[in-house]
Amino acid sequence: MVQASMLNEIIQKFVTSISGIEGAALVTPDGLSLVSVLPSSMDEERTAAMSAAILSLGERIGQELVRGLVARIVVEGEKGYSVMVSCGRDAVLLVLASKETKQGLLFLEIKRLVRELMPLLG
Amino acid sequence: MEILKIAVTGNVGAGKTTFIRTISEIEVVDTERRITDEKIASWKENTTVALDFGRLTLNSEQIVHMYGTPGQARFDFMWDIILNKVHAYILLVAVHRPQDFRGARRILTYINQRVQIPMIIGLTHTDCEGAWQKDDVILALGLTNQNIDLPVVDVNAENPNSVAQCLLTLLEQWQPKPTT
Ligand SMILES: Nc1nc2c(ncn2[C@@H]2O[C@H](COP(=O)(O)OP(=O)(O)O)[C@@H](O)[C@H]2O)c(=O)[nH]1
Ligand SMILES: [Mg+2]
Repeated sequence: MVQASMLNEIIQKFVTSISGIEGAALVTPDGLSLVSVLPSSMDEERTAAMSAAILSLGERIGQELVRGLVARIVVEGEKGYSVMVSCGRDAVLLVLASKETKQGLLFLEIKRLVRELMPLLG
Repeated sequence: MEILKIAVTGNVGAGKTTFIRTISEIEVVDTERRITDEKIASWKENTTVALDFGRLTLNSEQIVHMYGTPGQARFDFMWDIILNKVHAYILLVAVHRPQDFRGARRILTYINQRVQIPMIIGLTHTDCEGAWQKDDVILALGLTNQNIDLPVVDVNAENPNSVAQCLLTLLEQWQPKPTT
């Protein structure tokens, strides 16, 4: 599929060209992997399911506690960030970044990436 | 006030979300997403990706909290999270889909290897075409030798009385641990 290879290319470029980004994956809202560029130690299938699960819970919390549309879920760990954002109706984006990454810049880059991916996910 | 926490588990389409929706007194917190897996999407629209949560007040002293798990094995980390927090569980099995019995057995083994808590098996879709008889399901699930007293009940997840009956059967299994 042309589209899948384009998505792959964009994600690949994102991970390699931006410093501090350690991985990224695009998954369906029900947790199936579409494209992933992840450290080899990570299980693609489980990572996809986890991203979908946490985003759905976060969105449900946003709704329950009247926080409006959820922009992103951030899991900040000792060793870095996992960021989950909704990427239109048909996909969820996961980005892994190192602890040294500046949060503001990271969110900005993710926003750009989502804007680039959206038209392809149509 | 005592909170009895139970999990409702089983394969995709067994009736977990419906079970909780049917009996919960609060609007169920669900996390359903459209199914993209083509094999399943042909017969089911949505699937739970994190959990379902519902509540039922039994009396002035007891409340039941119900946690529904996702059905697909890729979400087994959610099974861990939920099962470590509950006191008992129900495994729902759709008896008109024998191709799912292996999956049900897998869930059963997975859980039994991790926690020892009261449980029952609820057979759903007994009213559907191609439904297996109870004894045959018990055989297919490999329950004949071990778990002799394990209750296996029919339940229609869409029927409040039937769901209540099933829940009561589970509560009867309760062996409150002596507090030390
Ligand atoms: N006929 C019949 N339909 C049922 C029964 N239990 C559940 N259903 C239906 O089966 C479908 C799948 O149920 P759902 O709760 O989404 O399954 P889940 O994947 O386990 O959460 C729904 O359309 C339910 O209404 C039953 O005992 N009989
Ligand atoms: Mg469900």
